Amino acid sequence: MNTWYFLVQQTMFFSIPLLIVALGGMFSERSGIVNIALEGIMIMGAFSGILFINVMQSLRIGIQPQLLLLIACLIAAAVGVIVSMAHAYAAINMKADQVISGTAINMFAPAFAIFAARMIRSVQQIPFNNTFRIKSVPVLGDIPVIGPMFFRNTYITTYLGFLILIVSAIVLYKTRFGLRMRSCGEHPQAADSVGINVYKMRYAGVAISGALAGMGGLIFIVPTSTNFNASVAGYGFLALAVLIFGQWRPSRILFAAFFFGLMKTIASAYSGIPFLANLGIPNDIYKMIPYIATLIVLAFTSKNSMAPRAEGIPYDKGSR
Amino acid sequence: MKNTQQHKRLTEKPGFSNFMASLLAILCGLLVGFIVLLIADPAKAFWGLGAILTGGFSSMKNIGQVLYGATPIILTGLSVGFANKTGLFNIGASGQFIVGAYVAILIGVKCSFIPGPLLWIVCLLAAMLAGGLWGMVPGILKALCNVNEVIACIMMNYIGMYMVNFLVQLTVFDSLKNQSMAVASNANAPKLGMDKIFRTGTTSSSVNAGILVAILAGVIVYFLIEKTKFGYELKACGLNRDAAKYAGINEKRSIVLSMVIAGALAGLGGACLYLAGAGKSIEVLDVLAAEGFDGISVSLLGLNNPIGIIFSGLFVAYLNQGGFSMQVYGFAPQIIDIIISVVIYFAAFSLLLRGIVERVAKRKEDKTARPNANAQTEEGGGAE
Amino acid sequence: MDEYIIEMCNITKEFPGIIANDNVTLQLKKGEIHALLGENGAGKSTLMSVLFGMYQPEQGVIKKNGEVVKINDPNDANRLGIGMVHQHFKLVHNFTVLENIILGVETTKHGFLKMDAAREKVMALSERYGLSIDPDAYISDITVGMQQRVEILKMLYRDNEILIFDEPTAVLTPQEIEELMKIMKELVSEGKSILFITHKLNEIKAVANRCTVLRKGKYIGTVDVASTSKEEMSEMMVGRKVNLNVDKTPANPGDVVFSARELCVKSHGTGKNVVNHVSFDVRKGEIVCVAGIDGNGQTELVYALTGLVEPTSGTVTMNGQDITHMPIRKRNAGGLGHVPEDRHRHGLVLDYNLAYNLVLQNYFEPRFCKNGFLKYDAIYQYADKLIGSFDIRSGQGAKTITRSMSGGNQQKAIVAREIDRNPDILIAVQPTRGLDVGAIEYIHKKIVEERDSGKGILLVSLELDEVMQLSDRILVMYEGEIVADLDPKEITVQELGLYMAGSKRRNVQ
Repeated sequence: MNTWYFLVQQTMFFSIPLLIVALGGMFSERSGIVNIALEGIMIMGAFSGILFINVMQSLRIGIQPQLLLLIACLIAAAVGVIVSMAHAYAAINMKADQVISGTAINMFAPAFAIFAARMIRSVQQIPFNNTFRIKSVPVLGDIPVIGPMFFRNTYITTYLGFLILIVSAIVLYKTRFGLRMRSCGEHPQAADSVGINVYKMRYAGVAISGALAGMGGLIFIVPTSTNFNASVAGYGFLALAVLIFGQWRPSRILFAAFFFGLMKTIASAYSGIPFLANLGIPNDIYKMIPYIATLIVLAFTSKNSMAPRAEGIPYDKGSR
Repeated sequence: MKNTQQHKRLTEKPGFSNFMASLLAILCGLLVGFIVLLIADPAKAFWGLGAILTGGFSSMKNIGQVLYGATPIILTGLSVGFANKTGLFNIGASGQFIVGAYVAILIGVKCSFIPGPLLWIVCLLAAMLAGGLWGMVPGILKALCNVNEVIACIMMNYIGMYMVNFLVQLTVFDSLKNQSMAVASNANAPKLGMDKIFRTGTTSSSVNAGILVAILAGVIVYFLIEKTKFGYELKACGLNRDAAKYAGINEKRSIVLSMVIAGALAGLGGACLYLAGAGKSIEVLDVLAAEGFDGISVSLLGLNNPIGIIFSGLFVAYLNQGGFSMQVYGFAPQIIDIIISVVIYFAAFSLLLRGIVERVAKRKEDKTARPNANAQTEEGGGAE
Repeated sequence: MDEYIIEMCNITKEFPGIIANDNVTLQLKKGEIHALLGENGAGKSTLMSVLFGMYQPEQGVIKKNGEVVKINDPNDANRLGIGMVHQHFKLVHNFTVLENIILGVETTKHGFLKMDAAREKVMALSERYGLSIDPDAYISDITVGMQQRVEILKMLYRDNEILIFDEPTAVLTPQEIEELMKIMKELVSEGKSILFITHKLNEIKAVANRCTVLRKGKYIGTVDVASTSKEEMSEMMVGRKVNLNVDKTPANPGDVVFSARELCVKSHGTGKNVVNHVSFDVRKGEIVCVAGIDGNGQTELVYALTGLVEPTSGTVTMNGQDITHMPIRKRNAGGLGHVPEDRHRHGLVLDYNLAYNLVLQNYFEPRFCKNGFLKYDAIYQYADKLIGSFDIRSGQGAKTITRSMSGGNQQKAIVAREIDRNPDILIAVQPTRGLDVGAIEYIHKKIVEERDSGKGILLVSLELDEVMQLSDRILVMYEGEIVADLDPKEITVQELGLYMAGSKRRNVQ
């Protein structure tokens, strides 16, 4: 049973950031902009958030850890928005190839993070004290079975992730903003003809993706590491795969994120699972599992893609 | 009079405005790099920029190092550029590169019975085969299952990296250094006397026959794309897959073949980097091979044109060399990646930049050759 | 003073390289149906886009009730009560009918959508004007006719009083067209004013009060419809006398050259047969027309015949040989010519130059290719020959990038390529769509010439005039089946419409 709890808790650590970042990608793509820059934005978000935590902790300001983490999340989100605006400007105003500008950001982010870290802190890694783990949520943590699974050894960001999921689904399907945004991703000419500002909606979509990806970067680093080394281990790309596997819909993205989270958990924590540890399969093979699983899943789900129709196509007011 | 006509012919060529657009993007990148240097350390910023700009030419050895550094990224650049002609974005050059490198080293270590430079050639061919196979997977997934090749390529990068780590430890592991073993000396590329030319004092550079392989590959790819039936078909698929199908071109086969060739080029790049007698081995680290991503930059800067890629590969290698020189002033070498990423970002604006170049060129023409207004409106229509 | 509800005065709109509207004036009276007549490319759609706020004119003003107004975007147009049914419907395919109608003018409470009130209003409007719709159906599941009703409801929902209809009849059956005309008259009697864009003179005669004519972006004049003959209007539109009839001798059919038997194609999505047990023959020297409303399986039928999709069952034969599963390349080499429905999607590689496109079907033949290398001299020579004999016009001859050519010349290039390959059977799908009268005449003439030289022609067309004029035999397609095999000399357009709408059928074979 303990193994089971351990597995669920670990899966949360990997799944929640995937969920958040993939939801971010969903907003961008459903407004019509392919955001391959998620990886780079995650790095920038994680970098700024961890740097903030590092500075606050080294100043020894007596701030409540959960509050510190939430503020760091907001900072990461803000930085994510700023970086994503570079992508939005290229993709929307400049009608640039969205894959190219995304690639540029993905290249820029780690270089900038290392450069800045070395200039500010003179070392590449930025360490932090993980004071954010919640041993057990009061009351809820004592519920049998469910308590140990979801309310012990957890982070406040886990619940933040679920909150973002619910809000995202409501915004996308129940609000005027969501309806208009979706119309821009499917048929921007139609949206334009009824007076919707396609550029604005697309900026909004990319900005949301930037905020969520920036935050997701930090949320990925905090439970799984003790320092930040200018990398989020390809999570931004995995989030894109989750988005595609999740067919651009919140409920399926949730499912996809947990599928990949589980795969990743098996890859990183197999030594803690007696059954898998006894198989004697080398470490590197386990590490390949999430990526191979992604390929297999995509091979079976890509045929009838529900991708937004206008995704990746720059909108030009002149063309009809 | 004759002069203006020549000027006009030059500026009207699309190649000219493309070239100018790339140049503008590079200037933007350098400007941003300089600003970052200024913020980091205003006192040394000028020296740092100077080192970036001149480091590659500062000695014969450094020139040799530029050529050596350019070899793998020209090849990965060709890989990305070639796939691009078929409308595919090969972000998987990194995985193809490392898989090719591993197979080359494996043969270089285990097959030392093959005599003389023949071993080197066998290694190169095997690396191409391995890289080609690695590229084939996303190609097949794209052609048959409609899997987005960008995602598939990224997954193949990670799978390739972990698999190579695993196989290196299993087959050719030097556990003391945590890296692959050294290959037989005749598996390394012949120097062809280049080490005698490109050296400073007694330290010679790592340049070798690999650079000639890279340039030759560029020329072959150019002919393949521009002059052959095969190239015609690949480009048709890239520009309009439906029309290619309508014309009876087997578009699925074209996609797979294009990825195989792209993979082979990247794999060749991997072999050329490690079979250089420069003491470089595959390290067992969980890090993707950067040369694959450099290939994207090189290809974009070279406007996906094989000949352009040769030059942009040299340029990026030159910047990297300048980055090493710049470390003397206490700057982190990542500044080079920042510069290159900014250059790519602005290269993505190529439409706009090209527009500016064309407008400037036209304004000049308006001044010099007024009467020929007719031709200009026609050109304006074509540009739309 | 305010006799005119909308006036567009001296509008000039330029695009790089062309002047789409050159000093055009249009005045719409309150309560009238005003036709805007012109050929494809005359600048009608541009003018309407200016009125609708999608383009800003370089010169000229727009007045409403005598006052100058500025229309910067469709929102402004909407506020002024201007609504538009676009030629290509502006509907989001995976939204419901209701969502499409309210998009842009949603009623909300705290930012959340309030659908119930909207639904009531839509249903009331739908009943009042007899525009029956299913508010919860997805756009991708409903017929073109219903999509048009959705577009009309979009305007009514916004309480628009000036309604623009951009080529609304192109996709409808004769019966649906009559129905639409009735709706338009009713709208006018309720106090709305209508601008009706078309190039069909019959329809103008049927409903319009006045008519403004454009030609090549220029204003030609405004006439009273009742006192002007069709011939006069057509001459204003084209700039010369037009012979709208195709000169053609009776057909002289020979042996069967091409046939389909029990051909079925299943749809990916629904699993239903979109082509349902279709059988027919085409003989040498005859033009067989497949008529029908758009979306009744014509596209899929042609895909199956030409090899772009695998049929689910049935056979296709050409010259007595079974070609059902033959690769496209072999079919083409064996005598199949194909002028595709969508010239941009299938017919051309737009970023190739004209010469490359002219050899798209035969670049691999020994005359153009040796040892895997292309023979550029031969390719350009051949291209120049075709450009000359088919009168294809372009900026830089064979080296012109095809994207920069006009639609008519692009289509001519495709027709040239397919005819010059000397096929035994030519399958042409809507070969004249979107072209001006000159190009239409030319392509019709070429098709008849091909027939007279003993080729079999299978023509798929949505334009009834074209079907009636060109065909020697008409196959009517309805919901994937061929419901009638008719002789054009023995039926009227009205009758043909009944077959197309599925309300009449005659057993075939």
